Amino acid sequence: MTRLDDQLQRLFVAYRRACPDVEPSATFMPDLWERIESRRRFALEFRRWARGLITAAAAACLVLASFVYTPASSEPTFYSATYLETLQEDQSAIVDYNAAVGAEVFAPQEPR
Amino acid sequence: MQIDFDLIRRAQAGDHAAFNAIVQAYRKRILGTISRLIGRPEDVEDVGQEVFLRLYYSLDQLRAAEVFEPWLYRLTVNAAYDYLRKQRRRGEARMADLSEQQVMMADAAAGTRISDQERERAKVREHVQTLLSSVSEEDRLLLTLKEVEGLSLKELEKIYRVKENALKVRLFRARQRVLKALAREQEAQQKALTRDEEGACKSFTDESGELR
Repeated sequence: MTRLDDQLQRLFVAYRRACPDVEPSATFMPDLWERIESRRRFALEFRRWARGLITAAAAACLVLASFVYTPASSEPTFYSATYLETLQEDQSAIVDYNAAVGAEVFAPQEPR
Repeated sequence: MQIDFDLIRRAQAGDHAAFNAIVQAYRKRILGTISRLIGRPEDVEDVGQEVFLRLYYSLDQLRAAEVFEPWLYRLTVNAAYDYLRKQRRRGEARMADLSEQQVMMADAAAGTRISDQERERAKVREHVQTLLSSVSEEDRLLLTLKEVEGLSLKELEKIYRVKENALKVRLFRARQRVLKALAREQEAQQKALTRDEEGACKSFTDESGELR
Protein backbone atom coordinates (compact mmCIF):
# COMPACT_ATOMS: atom_id res chain seq x y z
CA MET A 1 0.00 0.00 0.00
CA THR A 2 2.96 2.34 0.64
CA ARG A 3 4.00 2.20 -3.01
CA LEU A 4 0.47 3.07 -4.06
CA ASP A 5 0.35 5.79 -1.41
CA ASP A 6 3.51 7.38 -2.82
CA GLN A 7 2.16 7.07 -6.32
CA LEU A 8 -1.09 8.76 -5.32
CA GLN A 9 0.82 11.55 -3.61
CA ARG A 10 2.89 12.10 -6.76
CA LEU A 11 -0.30 12.13 -8.82
CA PHE A 12 -1.81 14.81 -6.59
CA VAL A 13 1.32 16.96 -6.96
CA ALA A 14 1.23 16.50 -10.73
CA TYR A 15 -2.48 17.36 -10.73
CA ARG A 16 -1.72 20.57 -8.82
CA ARG A 17 0.76 21.51 -11.56
CA ALA A 18 -1.58 20.41 -14.35
CA CYS A 19 -4.33 22.73 -13.07
CA PRO A 20 -2.60 26.10 -12.85
CA ASP A 21 -4.27 29.22 -11.46
CA VAL A 22 -6.92 30.54 -13.80
CA GLU A 23 -6.68 34.05 -15.16
CA PRO A 24 -10.08 35.71 -14.94
CA SER A 25 -11.44 37.00 -18.22
CA ALA A 26 -11.96 40.69 -18.93
CA THR A 27 -15.71 40.31 -18.45
CA PHE A 28 -15.44 38.70 -15.04
CA MET A 29 -16.24 41.83 -13.00
CA PRO A 30 -18.97 43.23 -15.30
CA ASP A 31 -20.63 39.80 -15.41
CA LEU A 32 -20.41 39.51 -11.64
CA TRP A 33 -22.08 42.91 -11.14
CA GLU A 34 -24.71 41.98 -13.68
CA ARG A 35 -25.53 38.88 -11.63
CA ILE A 36 -25.57 40.87 -8.39
CA GLU A 37 -27.95 43.43 -9.88
CA SER A 38 -30.20 40.78 -11.39
CA ARG A 39 -30.46 38.97 -8.03
CA ARG A 40 -31.20 42.28 -6.29
CA ARG A 41 -33.92 43.08 -8.84
CA PHE A 42 -35.47 39.67 -8.29
CA ALA A 43 -35.36 40.14 -4.50
CA LEU A 44 -36.99 43.56 -4.77
CA GLU A 45 -39.69 42.23 -7.07
CA PHE A 46 -40.32 39.30 -4.73
CA ARG A 47 -40.51 41.63 -1.73
CA ARG A 48 -42.99 43.86 -3.56
CA TRP A 49 -45.21 40.89 -4.38
CA ALA A 50 -44.95 39.54 -0.85
CA ARG A 51 -45.91 42.94 0.59
CA GLY A 52 -48.91 43.13 -1.78
CA LEU A 53 -50.04 39.65 -0.79
CA ILE A 54 -49.71 40.45 2.91
CA THR A 55 -51.78 43.62 2.47
CA ALA A 56 -54.45 41.72 0.53
CA ALA A 57 -54.54 38.98 3.19
CA ALA A 58 -54.87 41.56 5.98
CA ALA A 59 -57.72 43.28 4.13
CA ALA A 60 -59.50 39.94 3.63
CA CYS A 61 -59.09 39.20 7.35
CA LEU A 62 -60.63 42.56 8.26
CA VAL A 63 -63.62 41.99 5.96
CA LEU A 64 -64.23 38.50 7.38
CA ALA A 65 -63.86 39.77 10.95
CA SER A 66 -66.39 42.53 10.29
CA PHE A 67 -68.86 39.89 9.03
CA VAL A 68 -68.34 37.69 12.06
CA TYR A 69 -68.57 40.43 14.69
CA THR A 70 -71.45 42.46 13.23
CA PRO A 71 -74.25 42.39 15.95
CA ALA A 72 -77.15 40.13 14.94
CA SER A 73 -80.75 41.59 14.58
CA SER A 74 -82.72 41.84 17.88
CA GLU A 75 -85.34 39.23 16.89
CA PRO A 76 -83.75 35.86 16.40
CA THR A 77 -84.93 34.20 13.23
CA PHE A 78 -84.69 30.77 14.72
CA TYR A 79 -86.82 29.15 17.46
CA SER A 80 -85.11 29.65 20.82
CA ALA A 81 -87.60 28.22 23.35
CA THR A 82 -86.92 24.98 25.17
CA TYR A 83 -88.95 21.83 24.60
CA LEU A 84 -90.91 22.19 27.91
CA GLU A 85 -91.78 25.81 27.21
CA THR A 86 -93.07 24.82 23.78
CA LEU A 87 -95.08 21.96 25.24
CA GLN A 88 -96.62 24.23 27.86
CA GLU A 89 -97.48 26.86 25.28
CA ASP A 90 -99.02 24.16 23.12
CA GLN A 91 -101.22 22.85 25.98
CA SER A 92 -102.50 26.32 26.86
CA ALA A 93 -103.38 26.77 23.19
CA ILE A 94 -105.41 23.52 23.28
CA VAL A 95 -107.21 24.67 26.45
CA ASP A 96 -108.04 28.02 24.79
CA TYR A 97 -109.32 26.19 21.73
CA ASN A 98 -111.51 23.84 23.81
CA ALA A 99 -112.93 26.74 25.71
CA ALA A 100 -113.72 28.47 22.46
CA VAL A 101 -115.49 25.47 20.91
CA GLY A 102 -117.06 24.39 24.26
CA ALA A 103 -115.63 20.90 24.08
CA GLU A 104 -113.63 18.93 26.58
CA VAL A 105 -112.34 16.37 24.15
CA PHE A 106 -108.86 17.68 23.93
CA ALA A 107 -108.56 18.75 27.54
CA PRO A 108 -105.37 17.53 29.04
CA GLN A 109 -105.83 14.57 31.33
CA GLU A 110 -104.85 14.91 34.96
CA PRO A 111 -102.46 12.19 35.95
CA ARG A 112 -104.06 9.71 38.29
CA MET B 1 -3.22 36.96 2.52
CA GLN B 2 -4.88 38.83 5.37
CA ILE B 3 -7.46 41.31 4.18
CA ASP B 4 -7.91 44.67 5.83
CA PHE B 5 -11.07 44.63 7.91
CA ASP B 6 -11.66 48.26 7.07
CA LEU B 7 -12.10 47.18 3.45
CA ILE B 8 -14.68 44.61 4.53
CA ARG B 9 -16.48 47.23 6.66
CA ARG B 10 -16.65 49.57 3.68
CA ALA B 11 -17.94 46.77 1.45
CA GLN B 12 -20.52 45.91 4.13
CA ALA B 13 -21.63 49.54 4.08
CA GLY B 14 -22.30 49.22 0.34
CA ASP B 15 -19.05 50.61 -1.07
CA HIS B 16 -18.77 48.97 -4.50
CA ALA B 17 -15.13 49.94 -4.92
CA ALA B 18 -14.23 48.16 -1.68
CA PHE B 19 -16.09 45.04 -2.79
CA ASN B 20 -14.30 45.18 -6.16
CA ALA B 21 -10.98 45.39 -4.30
CA ILE B 22 -11.84 42.28 -2.25
CA VAL B 23 -12.84 40.35 -5.39
CA GLN B 24 -9.69 41.42 -7.21
CA ALA B 25 -7.52 40.37 -4.28
CA TYR B 26 -8.96 36.86 -4.15
CA ARG B 27 -10.43 36.00 -7.53
CA LYS B 28 -7.31 34.41 -9.06
CA ARG B 29 -6.78 32.17 -6.06
CA ILE B 30 -10.43 31.24 -5.79
CA LEU B 31 -10.70 30.49 -9.52
CA GLY B 32 -7.61 28.27 -9.27
CA THR B 33 -9.13 26.37 -6.35
CA ILE B 34 -12.43 25.98 -8.19
CA SER B 35 -10.65 24.71 -11.28
CA ARG B 36 -8.98 21.97 -9.21
CA LEU B 37 -12.19 21.19 -7.35
CA ILE B 38 -14.54 20.85 -10.31
CA GLY B 39 -12.06 19.95 -13.04
CA ARG B 40 -13.95 21.77 -15.82
CA PRO B 41 -12.11 24.88 -17.00
CA GLU B 42 -15.06 26.15 -19.04
CA ASP B 43 -17.28 26.45 -15.94
CA VAL B 44 -14.70 27.88 -13.53
CA GLU B 45 -15.66 31.53 -14.04
CA ASP B 46 -19.33 30.76 -13.65
CA VAL B 47 -18.78 29.02 -10.30
CA GLY B 48 -16.33 31.76 -9.28
CA GLN B 49 -18.94 34.43 -9.90
CA GLU B 50 -21.42 32.43 -7.86
CA VAL B 51 -18.92 32.41 -4.96
CA PHE B 52 -18.47 36.19 -5.06
CA LEU B 53 -22.21 36.69 -5.49
CA ARG B 54 -22.80 34.70 -2.29
CA LEU B 55 -20.02 36.69 -0.66
CA TYR B 56 -21.74 39.94 -1.60
CA TYR B 57 -25.06 38.91 -0.10
CA SER B 58 -23.62 37.43 3.08
CA LEU B 59 -20.87 39.95 3.77
CA ASP B 60 -22.87 41.69 6.48
CA GLN B 61 -22.74 38.51 8.59
CA LEU B 62 -18.96 38.70 8.85
CA ARG B 63 -17.77 39.95 12.23
CA ALA B 64 -13.95 39.50 12.21
CA ALA B 65 -11.25 39.76 9.57
CA GLU B 66 -9.49 36.55 10.70
CA VAL B 67 -12.42 34.38 9.70
CA PHE B 68 -12.76 35.95 6.26
CA GLU B 69 -10.55 33.48 4.39
CA PRO B 70 -11.98 30.25 5.86
CA TRP B 71 -15.40 31.71 5.26
CA LEU B 72 -14.60 32.51 1.61
CA TYR B 73 -13.25 28.98 1.24
CA ARG B 74 -16.45 27.61 2.72
CA LEU B 75 -18.46 29.57 0.15
CA THR B 76 -16.14 28.19 -2.55
CA VAL B 77 -16.52 24.61 -1.36
CA ASN B 78 -20.31 24.97 -1.16
CA ALA B 79 -20.53 26.49 -4.64
CA ALA B 80 -18.27 23.76 -6.07
CA TYR B 81 -20.33 21.10 -4.30
CA ASP B 82 -23.59 22.55 -5.66
CA TYR B 83 -22.06 22.61 -9.14
CA LEU B 84 -20.89 18.98 -8.93
CA ARG B 85 -24.28 17.88 -7.62
CA LYS B 86 -26.04 19.69 -10.48
CA GLN B 87 -23.68 18.09 -12.98
CA ARG B 88 -24.40 14.65 -11.57
CA ARG B 89 -28.14 15.31 -11.84
CA ARG B 90 -27.78 16.46 -15.43
CA GLY B 91 -25.61 13.45 -16.21
CA GLU B 92 -23.61 15.46 -18.67
CA ALA B 93 -20.66 13.90 -20.44
CA ARG B 94 -17.45 15.27 -19.01
CA MET B 95 -14.12 15.41 -20.75
CA ALA B 96 -12.88 13.04 -18.04
CA ASP B 97 -15.51 10.52 -19.13
CA LEU B 98 -14.20 10.53 -22.66
CA SER B 99 -11.30 8.43 -23.77
CA GLU B 100 -8.00 10.10 -24.56
CA GLN B 101 -8.60 9.52 -28.25
CA GLN B 102 -11.98 11.23 -28.06
CA VAL B 103 -10.43 14.20 -26.25
CA MET B 104 -7.77 14.44 -28.97
CA MET B 105 -10.44 14.28 -31.65
CA ALA B 106 -12.45 16.98 -29.87
CA ASP B 107 -9.34 19.14 -29.68
CA ALA B 108 -8.54 18.50 -33.32
CA ALA B 109 -12.10 19.37 -34.25
CA ALA B 110 -11.79 22.61 -32.31
CA GLY B 111 -8.73 23.38 -34.38
CA THR B 112 -6.39 23.60 -31.40
CA ARG B 113 -2.83 22.46 -31.54
CA ILE B 114 -1.86 21.15 -28.17
CA SER B 115 1.71 20.68 -27.19
CA ASP B 116 3.09 17.47 -25.72
CA GLN B 117 3.32 19.11 -22.33
CA GLU B 118 -0.31 20.19 -22.47
CA ARG B 119 -1.32 16.70 -23.58
CA GLU B 120 0.55 15.25 -20.62
CA ARG B 121 -1.20 17.69 -18.28
CA ALA B 122 -4.58 16.79 -19.73
CA LYS B 123 -3.75 13.13 -19.18
CA VAL B 124 -2.86 13.76 -15.53
CA ARG B 125 -6.04 15.80 -15.00
CA GLU B 126 -8.15 13.09 -16.56
CA HIS B 127 -6.43 10.38 -14.54
CA VAL B 128 -6.82 12.14 -11.16
CA GLN B 129 -10.39 13.15 -11.88
CA THR B 130 -11.28 9.59 -12.77
CA LEU B 131 -9.71 8.41 -9.51
CA LEU B 132 -11.50 11.09 -7.52
CA SER B 133 -14.81 10.12 -9.08
CA SER B 134 -14.60 6.90 -7.04
CA VAL B 135 -15.52 8.87 -3.90
CA SER B 136 -18.51 11.07 -3.08
CA GLU B 137 -18.52 14.77 -4.05
CA GLU B 138 -17.98 15.80 -0.40
CA ASP B 139 -14.98 13.53 0.00
CA ARG B 140 -13.62 14.53 -3.37
CA LEU B 141 -13.67 18.20 -2.37
CA LEU B 142 -12.18 17.48 1.04
CA LEU B 143 -9.39 15.37 -0.44
CA THR B 144 -8.63 17.98 -3.09
CA LEU B 145 -8.47 20.77 -0.53
CA LYS B 146 -6.10 18.74 1.64
CA GLU B 147 -3.90 17.01 -0.90
CA VAL B 148 -3.94 19.33 -3.89
CA GLU B 149 -4.60 22.75 -2.38
CA GLY B 150 -2.38 21.89 0.56
CA LEU B 151 -4.70 23.23 3.27
CA SER B 152 -3.86 22.19 6.81
CA LEU B 153 -6.23 20.29 9.07
CA LYS B 154 -6.64 23.44 11.18
CA GLU B 155 -7.73 25.38 8.12
CA LEU B 156 -10.09 22.61 7.07
CA GLU B 157 -11.51 22.55 10.58
CA LYS B 158 -12.41 26.24 10.24
CA ILE B 159 -13.89 25.74 6.78
CA TYR B 160 -15.97 22.68 7.58
CA ARG B 161 -16.66 23.55 11.24
CA VAL B 162 -15.94 19.94 12.09
CA LYS B 163 -13.54 18.56 14.71
CA GLU B 164 -10.05 17.67 13.48
CA ASN B 165 -10.45 13.99 14.40
CA ALA B 166 -13.64 13.65 12.38
CA LEU B 167 -11.87 15.25 9.43
CA LYS B 168 -8.94 12.85 9.78
CA VAL B 169 -11.30 9.87 9.71
CA ARG B 170 -13.11 11.20 6.63
CA LEU B 171 -9.85 11.95 4.86
CA PHE B 172 -8.44 8.53 5.69
CA ARG B 173 -11.52 6.74 4.36
CA ALA B 174 -11.63 8.87 1.21
CA ARG B 175 -7.95 8.24 0.58
CA GLN B 176 -8.41 4.50 1.06
CA ARG B 177 -11.18 4.50 -1.51
CA VAL B 178 -9.05 6.39 -4.01
CA LEU B 179 -6.15 4.02 -3.35
CA LYS B 180 -8.40 1.05 -4.01
CA ALA B 181 -9.51 2.64 -7.29
CA LEU B 182 -5.86 3.18 -8.21
CA ALA B 183 -5.03 -0.45 -7.39
CA ARG B 184 -7.96 -1.67 -9.48
CA GLU B 185 -6.87 0.51 -12.36
CA GLN B 186 -3.32 -0.79 -12.23
CA GLU B 187 -4.56 -4.36 -12.05
CA ALA B 188 -6.67 -3.80 -15.17
CA GLN B 189 -3.71 -2.22 -16.95
CA GLN B 190 -1.52 -5.18 -15.97
CA LYS B 191 -4.09 -7.62 -17.31
CA ALA B 192 -4.39 -5.70 -20.57
CA LEU B 193 -0.61 -5.68 -20.90
CA THR B 194 -0.42 -9.45 -20.32
CA ARG B 195 -3.14 -10.02 -22.92
CA ASP B 196 -1.26 -7.86 -25.42
CA GLU B 197 1.97 -9.75 -24.77
CA GLU B 198 0.20 -13.10 -25.20
CA GLY B 199 -1.35 -11.82 -28.44
CA ALA B 200 2.08 -10.72 -29.67
CA CYS B 201 3.60 -14.10 -28.79
CA LYS B 202 0.83 -15.92 -30.69
CA SER B 203 1.48 -13.82 -33.79
CA PHE B 204 5.11 -14.97 -33.73
CA THR B 205 4.23 -18.65 -33.47
CA ASP B 206 2.41 -20.79 -36.00
CA GLU B 207 -0.53 -23.06 -35.25
CA SER B 208 1.68 -25.91 -34.07
CA GLY B 209 3.39 -23.57 -31.58
CA GLU B 210 6.64 -23.47 -33.53
CA LEU B 211 8.42 -20.14 -33.96
CA ARG B 212 8.01 -18.73 -37.45
